[in-house]
Order: sequence, then C-alpha cells, then structure tokens
Amino acid sequence: MKLWKLPAVLLPLCLLSTGAHAGKADDTLNIAFSKELEHVDPYYNTAREGVLLGMSVWDGLLYRDPQSGKYVGNLATDWKWLNDTTLELNLRKGVKFHNGEAFDADDVVFTLNYVVDPANGTKSQPNTGWIASAEKVDQFTVRIHTKGPFPAALEYLAGPVIIHPNEYYAKVGQQGVATKPVGTGPYMITSVEPGKHFVLKRNPDYFAAAKPKAKIETVDIRTVPDTNTQMAELFNGDIDLAWGVPPDQAGKMKSMGKFQIINAPTMRVGYISLDAAGRTGEKNPMTNLKVRQAVNHAINRKGILEALMKGSSEEINSACAPVQFGCEQKVTSYAYDPAKAKALLAEAGYPKGFEIEFYAYRDKPLAEAMIGMLAEVGITAKLNYMQYAALREKRIKDGTPMAFMTWGSNSVADVSAITSAFFKMGGEDDARDKDVAALLDKGDTSVEDATRKEAYSKALSEIADKAYWVPLWTYSSNYVMGTDLDFAPTPDELIRFYAIGWK
Amino acid sequence: MFKYIMMKLGMAALVALTVSFISFLLLFMAGDPAISIAGESATHEVIEKVRHEYGFDRPLLVQYVEWCGKALTGDFGVSYYFKAPVSQMIAERLPVTMTVGGLGMGFALLLAIPMGVLAAAFPNTIIDRTALTVAVVGQAIPSFWFGLILIVIFSVQLGLVPASGTRTWTGYILPTIVLGYYATPAIMRLTRAGMLEVLSADYIRTARAKGLGWRVVMFKHALRNAIIPVVSLAAVQLGFMFGGSVVVETIFALHGAGFLAWESISRNDLPTMQALILIFSMFYIVFTFLADILNAWLDPRLRAA
Amino acid sequence: MTQTISSPALRDAAVDSPFRLLMRKAWKHRGFMAGFLVVSTVALIALLAPLLAPYDPYKQDLLARMARPVFLGGEWKHILGTDALGRDYLSRLIYGARVSLMIGLVAAAISAVIGTTLGVLGGYFGGKVDAVVMFLVSVRLALPATLVALAVVALFGGSLTVVITVLGLLLWDRFAVVLRSATMQVRQADYIAAAEVLGASLPRILWKDVLPNVMNALIVIMTLEMAHAIILEAALSFLGLGVQPPTPSWGLMISEGKEMLLFESWLITIPGIALFVLLLAINLLGDGIRDITAPEGRN
Repeated sequence: MKLWKLPAVLLPLCLLSTGAHAGKADDTLNIAFSKELEHVDPYYNTAREGVLLGMSVWDGLLYRDPQSGKYVGNLATDWKWLNDTTLELNLRKGVKFHNGEAFDADDVVFTLNYVVDPANGTKSQPNTGWIASAEKVDQFTVRIHTKGPFPAALEYLAGPVIIHPNEYYAKVGQQGVATKPVGTGPYMITSVEPGKHFVLKRNPDYFAAAKPKAKIETVDIRTVPDTNTQMAELFNGDIDLAWGVPPDQAGKMKSMGKFQIINAPTMRVGYISLDAAGRTGEKNPMTNLKVRQAVNHAINRKGILEALMKGSSEEINSACAPVQFGCEQKVTSYAYDPAKAKALLAEAGYPKGFEIEFYAYRDKPLAEAMIGMLAEVGITAKLNYMQYAALREKRIKDGTPMAFMTWGSNSVADVSAITSAFFKMGGEDDARDKDVAALLDKGDTSVEDATRKEAYSKALSEIADKAYWVPLWTYSSNYVMGTDLDFAPTPDELIRFYAIGWK
Repeated sequence: MFKYIMMKLGMAALVALTVSFISFLLLFMAGDPAISIAGESATHEVIEKVRHEYGFDRPLLVQYVEWCGKALTGDFGVSYYFKAPVSQMIAERLPVTMTVGGLGMGFALLLAIPMGVLAAAFPNTIIDRTALTVAVVGQAIPSFWFGLILIVIFSVQLGLVPASGTRTWTGYILPTIVLGYYATPAIMRLTRAGMLEVLSADYIRTARAKGLGWRVVMFKHALRNAIIPVVSLAAVQLGFMFGGSVVVETIFALHGAGFLAWESISRNDLPTMQALILIFSMFYIVFTFLADILNAWLDPRLRAA
Repeated sequence: MTQTISSPALRDAAVDSPFRLLMRKAWKHRGFMAGFLVVSTVALIALLAPLLAPYDPYKQDLLARMARPVFLGGEWKHILGTDALGRDYLSRLIYGARVSLMIGLVAAAISAVIGTTLGVLGGYFGGKVDAVVMFLVSVRLALPATLVALAVVALFGGSLTVVITVLGLLLWDRFAVVLRSATMQVRQADYIAAAEVLGASLPRILWKDVLPNVMNALIVIMTLEMAHAIILEAALSFLGLGVQPPTPSWGLMISEGKEMLLFESWLITIPGIALFVLLLAINLLGDGIRDITAPEGRN
C-alpha cells in the first residue's frame, strides 16, 4: 500500500532540487569523460582525456596552430637545429607556474630528462622516446639532444610533450602530482578526485602567447562512462557538451532539435591487426599471406561506413590517417569481394574456413558486424571484448590472432606517430617485418622531406602488399552540445577547453 | 553468552582467513603479476628484476602471510592502473557504497516489514495476496533491467532525478530503490511467516484474551518476537547488497567501491580486485557476526547458553 | 523455512496414491499451474528454436537496422523488429531462451550435486563433519558471488562453459543449508535406525533412505537456484563479462540494446520482459512445489 504513496511523497521533493542546473548562469562548463583517467599527469596516461587535460593545464615548448598548421612559440620563443640531433630553444621569460614558481631552463631540463629515464616508468614512450637528453645552456636557453635525426621532433614538442615545474615535482613526486598537478596553462586544476572528478579554474595570469586565455571561468569534469548516461545528462542539462557520440544517438539527438550537433573528422583510424608473425602460434592461419588477403577482401568497409558509422568517416587502404605527413595513399587495396576471399582461403588450404579469436575494445557493434562478414566467408571469429588497457597488455605480452584496434596518433600529424608505433618491432608489432622496420627507421631519422616520404611510401606499400593489417576507416567524432555553447571542433579531435565560450 | 560470542568470533575469524586466502589466490590465477607491473616493452631482465623486487619468486605461502600482514594494517599495495595506494582509493569510494547500501536496506525494511505484518494480520485476504505478489514479482525483476527502466521513466521522460552520479542527494533515490527492492521479498516473506507463527502461539492468544488491544498485541508482543530472525536475514542481505552494488553502481555511474570493482576487473587491476573482494567478504562476515550476537541478546534461550 | 519432510505424505499414501494426491493439489494451485505452463512453454520454444525462429539469429542485415517491432508501427516481416546489426529480434529472443535455460539447468545441477552432497553428509553425520560443512557454507556465503563470478570470467574469458561452471560452483550454499536440516530431521526417523540396525551400508542408507526423503526440498531449491543462475548470467552478460557476442543471450541483448536506451527503449524492454516472465514462472513453480509437497496445514 505504501508503495503507491512513496512516489507521491518523493516526486515534489525531487522537483525542488533539480532544475537549478549549472552552465552559462554560473560560467561553468560541465563535461564528462567516458574513461577513468588513471593519472592526471599526461606522461602517466595514454588516454585522449589525458591529452585534453594536458593542453589546458600545461604548455608545451611549441604550439601548432590548428588552423594554419604552423608551429609557433609557446614556452619557447624561437628554436633552431644546431645539427641533425641538437635542437636549441630560447625560452620565454616571465612565465609563472600556477603555484608561483618561475619558469626557466631548469624546468625544461628536469621534465625532459625525467620522462626519458626508464626508471620513472612514464607510459607514453612514442611521445618522448626520441629524446636522448636535455641540457641547460643558460637560464633561458636549452638544448635537446635526439637519439638520431628526428624531424618530427617539433610536432611532438608542440603536442604531448608538456613541461612540469622542477622544484615542485621534485618535492611532491609523481604521486603528489596525481592529486595536485601544477602547470603553466590557461586552466589550473583546483580539485582532483582520481579517475572521478576534476575541476579546472581559469588561470587569470596566463601568459597567452600561443593559446588564448580561457573564456569560461570553471570547467567541471566528471567521469560518466556510459554514453547513454551522458545523453540523459545532456537532456537534463547536467552536462553541456559530449563528444564521440555514436552516430545512431547523434542522429536521434539531431532530430530532437534541441542541441547543436557537429560532425568533425579526426585523425583516428580503425584497423584489424593480423598476427602475421605467428606470435600466438606458428600454425596461426594469419601467418599465411593468402589468408590475410582473404580477410581484407571479406570486410565490407563501405557497407559498415554507410550503415553504422555515417558522418564524415572514410575508407582507408593505407596503415595511417590520410592527413598525416607521409601517409602514402597509392598502395594495394582490397575491394570487398567475398567470393574472392573464399577462393583465397581455399588456395591457402582452408576451404572450410577456420576458427579464430578476435579481440576488440571499443565499437562492439562494428566488431560484431565484421565478425558477421568473416562468417560469410567461412571464418568463425570468436569475439573477446576487453578494456583497452587489458587488451593492450595482452597484445604486448602474448599477441592476438586478430585484433580490431584504433589509433588516434596522439593527434600528431606525422605518419611516424602511427607506423612507428606498430611496425618497428615494438610490443604491438604483429608483423615483425625487418624490412618494414628498417624503412620506417629511415623515414623517422631522415631530415629531408623527400627522403622521408619515399621511405614511408615504400614501407606502407609493403604493409599493404603483405596485408599485415586490414586498414578500415577514419573516425569522425560527433559533438553534441547545448545551443548556448560556442565551440568549433578542430580536425585533431582535441577539445581546447580554453577556446570554448558562451554564445 | 561469553562462550557463545567467543565461539562465533572464532568461526568468523577462521572464515575470514579462508576468504583472504582465496582472494589472494586470485592474483596467481591470472598469470605472472611481474609482467603486468613491468609494463609494456619491458625486457626479460626488467621483468626478472620486478619479480625479485616484489618478491614474486618466493614460496606462495610466504607471500600470502606477508600480504595478509600488510592487509591487516590496511596496506593493500598499489593499484596497477591508478598507481595509487589501493586502500586510499577504496576509502574514497566506500562511503558511496555504504550510503547506497544503508539506504537500500532502510528502504527494504520500511517496505517489507509493514507489508509482512499486514499480510500476516489478514492472511488470505487481498492484502496478503498483494504482498505476496509484490514479493514474487520483486524476485523476478533483474535489477540491472529495473534500473534502466527507472532511468528511462524518471530521469529521461519525467526529468525528475539525475540519471547518474551523486552530486545532489536526488542521485541516490533510484539506486536506493533498485538495491532495496531486491532484499524486500525475502524480508517480507520472513516477517509474514514469523508473524503467523507467533500469532498462533499461546501467549498471544492469552494476551488477546486478556483484552489487550489489537495494535498492542500486534506490535508490542508479536512483532518483537517475529523480528528476531528478520534481523539476521537483514544483516545477511546487507552483506549481499554491498557485494551486489557492482551492478547498481555501474548502471547509475556511482563512483563507489562496486563500480571500482567492476572497472578493476575489466582492466586486470589485480591488487584492487583482491582488496575489494576481501573487503566485501569482511563486511558480510562482520554483519553476520553482529547479527548472531544481536540474536543471542534478543533471544533469551540463546542468551542462557 | 522450507524444512519439509514427506512423512505425512507417506501416511496419506495408505488412503490415496501420493501421486494422485499431489496432482490434485497441483491442479488447484494457480501459481504452480501458471509457472508450470510458462516454464514448459519456454522449454519447448528453446528445444524447437530452429523450427520456430523465422530467421537465422546470427544473420546480419546492415540495411535493416533497428527496424521497430510491429506494435510500434513496424512491419510484419520482423515481428519484434531487428537489432543494431539488423538481426531479427524474435529469432534472437527464441535462441536466447536456449542460453538462459541451459545455463539455469546445468549450473543449478552442478550446484545441486555439490550442495546436496555436503548437506546430506553434514546432516547425517553431525559433529565434526557437520562443522566442516557449515564452515564451507560460511566461506562461500562470505564471498561476494557477483564479484567473484565477474573476476573469474574476466580471468578465464567469457564462454558458455566458463559461465556455467562458475555459477555452478557458486550457488550451492542454499542446497547445503536446506538439505542439511532436512537430513537431520530424516535422521531421527525410525526407518533409518532400522536400516542401520539391519546393517545396510552407509552409501545405501544415504542413497535409498535419506535422499528420497529430502527430494522435495531439493526440487524447491533447484528451481530457486535456476532462477538465481539465470539472473546472474544475465547480469554478467549485461556487464560484458558473461556469454560473448554474437551468442544471443537475453542479458546480452539488454546490454546491446542499452546503447539506444533513450531512443529505442523497446530494445531492452522486449528481452527484459522475456527474462522477467521466465524468472517469475520459475519462482512460481518453486513456490508451488513447496506448497503442494508441504504437509497439510502449512501456509
């Protein structure tokens, strides 16, 4: 009996307490991360959310203007290559960290030497692995020594390589930074509940050389892992902006007419990595070139793009994002052709197909759609769906026969950010092709653009010929936001919190 | 009484020890922890070094004793994922779980006991039937589905409560209902059965015969006796609730220990997983122990023992 | 609560055949009949799935995604619509019944074997054996079932076998507790003492004299634990750590449908209702069996 009375009592109470949403009125941007960030220090996480915080709270030495694509000085004012492996930078004077500590060469030298020391266990090796050491010349001049010629250095210095305050970091250590991070950026982190909740406040004294001062006073970030819950919160006005919204939901949100929906291309690409090197067993069918080609022919990328992905996503044939420097497009491509796939399988000695483990960590429906297509040609792929960190660990440890992965290249517009991460004998290199690795090495360490292009082109052609991957598509991101928000997405998928304002 | 308590305490301690051993073993079922700690691109030497530094090359039992000893002082090691002390993370999140669990139990008791009493007072009437229906239906609704349906109705269509999180107290309403209703059927049935039994007992008949009012008999005499088994059931259910909070917390994105457990499991964060399984078990053990004591205290027959 | 023993039923046997008596009682018990009808229908659907399902439950059609069911204005081609990959929802629902029933039955059977063995041994011997059994039960109860199941599935990978085994190993506690007390009561009975005096071997006594007399309790717990196993499987699959796609499991269907929760809520309503009805029916069946086999006068 009381069951009926309960809602009647509770409902009016609820009405009182909701309704007063944050947002424009109190100059607070409410957003949600869908991943629990393991550590706020960008060097100790590999998540996109970490890059976003990194951009807002810290500064790099350089900055790449997203419109012009040109490098401009940020914490450095100018720079020049002294030789193939030495970059000298002059630093900006008068910059202060959020805790008042003055910025100078010591901070740069400390940060770079700290992150390249394997003992400190930073997680983003591709971002800093090229640095040999940093050296102080005088209070506002530093030299960075690279391990070999590394032309993409500027790209990294403008992106994920941010500078920590040396005195503070030495004092509190990595664990202290986890809860009280300090940077120079347009926002200061005022509250951290690890993995859960972050509050950013505008840094009123920001030096604003390359990036502007923040427009909105407070950014309140919570972890809401489930897209649905994010949507529900958008409905209620509990969050103002969501990104990476699946196309189906974005379409429905659009038809409601109460939100701005923007679809923007990103640098993220999807691919299936095939265990060509036989890491999961010598007899693994993927070691057979014909099988790999068959898999390539079996996937109807266009069908998936049209039915499931929509937006501005595009088919790719090369193992990189087309916007990246050196991403050769003229490589062997495999059209959707199930009959040919079956024929290739028969030639390879699998007329009846085979069973194989298929790993994935996101886009379950896409994975299932591909599994369905593989089934059409006789390949029974068994889905193992894991969290990214766990899958990555598994891939590094034991490898996977087939893994549907994606890579956003940390928004670095250079092909080295993707191919070198996966084809240079690293933990996630399922091809283990020495020739490809050597070619990539040449590309990574040459200074001449033409030489680099040629080397990458050869490597990428080889990757396509040998069908080491099934290159799938580029991702586009759907941004759904309230109508009062003023925000223009950039193609690098980086949300610059400081550039967001109210209409 | 003292002997009884000591016996129960000894049993609880023994169970706790066994449970701790089982949760410890989980770590080793998952393969080599040294590889997980050493991280990507670690060479064989580095892994060897880690194995030695962390003491994974020692006999299992030695490691267990050490882990246990540390666990007793609240040290559960460092999370593989967050690189932060596990105990600190759990301490941050446990209040949410305990709040939802406590509220859920409160909700269940408030709903189940009056319903059980009424059902027993008017057996085989429409009231009794309704109560039984609520119980049977309640048992059959999967809580994750129930949670989703509530979200659709109350936070999306009606916009009354937030769909997730606990920034305001209203965020606790739906999780409380979802967690609480699950314990309702069992408590209701037990209350009803206990009341029926007590009501047919001689002393109640005597009391009625003496002309005591229905309400006095019902609540002062009957319920007091019928409630004894309900107390232990509630304690057991509360223990289950903490363990079951994983589903509810995941649906409502409550950052409690249950949600942490699910996240840790899916990202292979073994130290966190171990600690959580152990802690949830301990809650259950402590609650049942307290229930036993309370029972003994309420039940004169046991008190004499 | 359910310490039913069948000695009164045995007494009645002299008057009327116990089976006919039970049937008569069952016929009058509405809950039992409803539960029995639904459960047997679902079982039949599961058995005849290949004949009943209009489509292959794995067959995708990316051009016919999320077609709405007939009652929401969809076409008769797909009565219950299609899911996010264009698979026929009705066919998946029908095949899903197989998964749920199989998991429920096998997991409950494994649990029954473990729990009954422990319970009967503890109840028959008492003393130290009983103490050990009760200790094991306490340990099992102390372990949070959902979490342990999740952890084990995460470590060993989700497959039907792993899920069934884990659930089977986790749900035996109620069997042990109830059968222990049932056995204790049977133990007092004269015919057991007689059998012992006659020198019947222990396994024979347990098998021939004890077990048949605790059968009612066993069946009641069996139905309850079946429901428990089904609900846990659904929860595990819902959390992504149970049966792996593309296997059609109702829990998985709810989990997949959750993506469109706010816009196409029928995707979760349909498998949810199927799950609810099946669980309700199993519970009614269990309650019914208990009522029917209970001695007269009990409520």
